[in-house]
Amino acid sequence: MIINSPFKARWVWYCLLCVLLWGPYTIVAKLGSREIPATTMQFLFTIGSLPVGLALLAVRKFKLEKDGKGIFHATFTGFLSGIGGMGLFAAYGSGGNTAVITTASSLYPMVTVVLAVLILRERLTWIQVVGLAFATAAFVLFSL
Amino acid sequence: MHIPPWFWYVAVVLIFWGGCGIFQKLATNRISAESSLIWLIVGFVLLEPLVYPGRALLHYSKQNIMWGLLSGALSNLGAWGLYAAMKSGGKASIVAPFCALYPLVVVVLAPILLHESITKLQGLGVICGLVAVVLLSV
Repeated sequence: MIINSPFKARWVWYCLLCVLLWGPYTIVAKLGSREIPATTMQFLFTIGSLPVGLALLAVRKFKLEKDGKGIFHATFTGFLSGIGGMGLFAAYGSGGNTAVITTASSLYPMVTVVLAVLILRERLTWIQVVGLAFATAAFVLFSL
Repeated sequence: MHIPPWFWYVAVVLIFWGGCGIFQKLATNRISAESSLIWLIVGFVLLEPLVYPGRALLHYSKQNIMWGLLSGALSNLGAWGLYAAMKSGGKASIVAPFCALYPLVVVVLAPILLHESITKLQGLGVICGLVAVVLLSV
């Protein structure tokens, strides 16, 4: 019997890369936030993001789609994400436990799920309902 | 019930990043995920005048400034990895929950690099949180 190893698939390596970059991202965010205020951390974060944006542009040979609404929504996502990022830097700067803050802040899909129901009229799946219950349990445990 | 100070900051993260999910979806309905990441960085740039620290930046240690810069690079490279995973054949229903497990890396690294430990209750909360984030990302 031949069993295909999941590690032969390229996307698995990209996923691992993502996880292995986002973990250290939160560690360095915590280290910087111990001295630097949240707004300045966000300023530096953006400067650090620029080489990645330029590299992505170069990979795409400086060609981007010209859909106005798509561009507006994506840019607005960055604007909102930046404000949220400042919240994260402030949380790290407040001296709380890094693993707890990181886990709590990673639960933002629960807000997306609720907003998707309210704004996009999507229906909750039973898996999402169970997910929301676990998220609530996590917050209760963090506050005990 | 004791609400720690960090909770209110995390509430800001949840509200704004939660909102991001909606606009990200609306964006990727019309443009590619890679383009969306580029425009997302443009959105970060729009915030820059509001958070420009001026000469105060000179007062911070070079090391901490480097951590701040590195946080931006790592976060966006990670996002690129996520989009690349989907582009190279990974199903969103598997890729998104997989990548949402990044707090696990922090749970492992924080005691080693930051000399932090978590209580049993917090550990249980982390487990519940990880289960939740995987279920919510499916």
